[in-house]
This record gives sequence, C-alpha cells and structure tokens, in this order.
Amino acid sequence: MKALLVAALMASAVPEPSGYWTGPNQGDTPMTVAGATVIHTAQLAKLIAKKDKPVLIDVSPAPPPPPDLPPGTVFMPPPHRDIPGSVWLQEAGRGEISGEAEDLYRGTIQRLTGGNLAKPVVLYCHPKCWLSWNAAKRAVSFGYRHVYWYPDGIEGWREAGKGVTSTEVLKQ
Amino acid sequence: MMKTIVLLTAWLIAGTAVRAADLPEDQAERAQRWKDLSLQLFGDRKLENGAKFIAIDAPDRAMDAALVPIGVKISGKTGIKALYLLVDDNPVPLAAHFTFGPAADPREMKIRIRLEQYTYIHAVVEGGDGKLYQAARFVKAAGGCSAPAGPSDQALRDLGAMKLQTVATYRPGKTMEVQLHIRHPNFNGMQMDPINRWYTPARYINQADVSYGGQEVFHFEGGISMSSDPAITFGFRPKEKGELTVVAQDSKETRFEHVFPIPLTAAP
Repeated sequence: MKALLVAALMASAVPEPSGYWTGPNQGDTPMTVAGATVIHTAQLAKLIAKKDKPVLIDVSPAPPPPPDLPPGTVFMPPPHRDIPGSVWLQEAGRGEISGEAEDLYRGTIQRLTGGNLAKPVVLYCHPKCWLSWNAAKRAVSFGYRHVYWYPDGIEGWREAGKGVTSTEVLKQ
Repeated sequence: MMKTIVLLTAWLIAGTAVRAADLPEDQAERAQRWKDLSLQLFGDRKLENGAKFIAIDAPDRAMDAALVPIGVKISGKTGIKALYLLVDDNPVPLAAHFTFGPAADPREMKIRIRLEQYTYIHAVVEGGDGKLYQAARFVKAAGGCSAPAGPSDQALRDLGAMKLQTVATYRPGKTMEVQLHIRHPNFNGMQMDPINRWYTPARYINQADVSYGGQEVFHFEGGISMSSDPAITFGFRPKEKGELTVVAQDSKETRFEHVFPIPLTAAP
C-alpha cells in the first residue's frame, strides 16, 4: 500500500528540468534538485540551531510596481518578512539571469560563506516558487557542496509557528 | 472529558501559534505601522478603544487569501456615523469606508477582501458622539493581492451586473439584512496576466451609493483590497413596499445602476 502511494507520488511529481526553469515563477516544482538536499521546517530549524549556522538566502521576487491609483490614495507597501538572519536577493533565482545579478549572487554567497565551499547554504522563497529551485541549482554550479533547498518557503516557516522579521533587499 | 482535553489542546495550539507567528520586534513594528497608517488616515484624531462593542468576525486562517470574509458587529452604540475597514499589511490598507444614512442599520456589515500577508485587520467606527473607536484582529492568509485574476477579457464580461440576496426575512419596520453583489474583476494592478505576463492595470469599484425610498442607506468608498466581484452585506429598515437603488462607479469612471424592488420577488 505504502509502496503504491510512493509510486503514485513519484508519477505525479514534476520532473527536474535539465537546465534552469524559465517558465512562470509560481507552479508545481520538482521534489528534488540535483546536487542539493531538500529540507523541511524541522530540519531547517535544526540547521539554524547549530553553532555553525547556515547561510540563509531568500530569493523572493520584487513586489509589483505601484498600481495606477487615484491621487490621495494611501499607498504603503508592507515590509517584506522572512527567516531571521537571511539575506534577500531578488534576482538570484531567475531562469535567465543577467551577468550583474549573477555576480551579485556569487559574490554574496562567497562573502557570507567566507569562501568556504563546505559551508551549508539554504535557498528559499515561497511555496511552489521556482526561483529558489533555480537559485539552489545555481549555488551547486558555483561549487558549494552543502546546498539545501527549503521549498516550504516563508509561509511554510510561519505556518509552523516560527518567527519572521522584516528585511530590505540586498543591492549592489 | 475527552472532548475537554481535545478542546483544551486545540486552544493551546492556537494560542501558541498566534504568539509565535511574530517575533517581539515584529509586534513592535506592526504597532508602528498601525500608528503611521492611522496618522495618514485620521490625522491627529484620537482613536478610542472600541474592543468592548466592536466585534470583528474573520477566519483565523483563511482558505482563499483573495476572498476573505470579514464581518463587523457593533453593539450597544447608537447613531453610528461611519465604519472604516483597514488591512494593515496590504499595500493600500483602506479596504472600505462606509458612511451611513437614515435608512441604515449599521450594526452588522460584511465584506470580502484580499490579504497579501499575515496581518491585523482594523475596524474603526465613528460613533454618534463624533469619536473614533477601534478594534483589531489578526488574520492568517497570504498572496491574495497577487493571485492571478484570469484573462482580462473574460473577467470584464457582464461588468457591473448586480444581484441582491435576502439574508434575513423582510418585515416592514424591522431591519432587513441583504447581500449586494456587483460583477466586477476589481483589478488591483498587482495581478499578473498569465498570458502576456505583465500586470493588468488597476480597475475597481471605488464608490457606491445605496438608498431606499429616496433615503440614504450608505455611501461606500472602496480600494483595491476588496475582492473581485465585490459583495457587501448590510442592514436597512424598509417601511413598506419600496425600492432599493444602487449606484456604483469604478476607477475608470464607468457607472452602474440597479433598482431592486423590496420585498424582493423570488427569482424566476
């Protein structure tokens, strides 16, 4: 019975694309990333509790531009909240990344890991978000050996009753 | 006994979850945001604590963040002049502002809203004494503002068509509770068109006037936090046979008008 269930799950799962995903950001994602480890909330909490904390990178996309609203409308974009201690990079998970954004991503991981390729690096955004999948794949391509993909994302973290804090996007 | 344990456990879990959803610094930040927001909307007018007579009815955890039912019940106050519904963490926090006329019974109002992230909902009531009273409630839902609305040509079909449904039975002289539906996509400017992958421009119902027998029930001003196909549940006091008139307008200045006979005749 269990084997059947697993087989059914495997069959319905989205296969890993060979390269980076360039389709819509939101959608069903694969259950794996080649070269990286998939983790869920309990495992992430354990990693964060360790003395040698992982590097946490949130690759959530930029919020939409302000809509066309009548003058006098109170427009106050809310703060972006993510897992405490994270760095927010909006472009790192794009399927087609600009040279500039790739340099920023590579440079940021390098700085945060102190150039140690064995340091754990965790990538996340929202549930059903391809950006963190791409970013994890990209971190593997940079040579990091302990890349973790946390597909439950910010909402999964909050659902588990864990705290989040507001953050600002990292720019060059 | 078993039931008590289950209930107690559920209560404990719910209690912990609410407290753990935010870090202490986040609570301070939320308080600061409400302060900034209320300053923008109400200036230096004092907001009194209205928790004793304003009850906000909302799901603790919404099933669909683009369609979250919010109700406000006001008890023990008379001469209510206005009601504001605010979603603290939406980009345009003011979801709805109602000012009530002589034909209204403002003690119970319901709307449906979009929530972008876990947020406080504030209800601010302007009492007959001219004072502002506030109450708040935390609601968990995320992604309602950016949830796609579907291709825009389909969404604009039957634009402005209206429906009125009786919630509580009609009895002359007593409050009649009805729900008004207006067919409108209420594009908020933050929804990506799934085909051209660009943002559909904002277009939403931004005002409505409801009157009964020539007397005002309420004037509504709304923002992009209102769900698509806006629905407003409200009470009014019909005298005998009469007509309820709804005049609504969207942000592109398209006007929609509908007259409903009261009591409502059964749909054919």
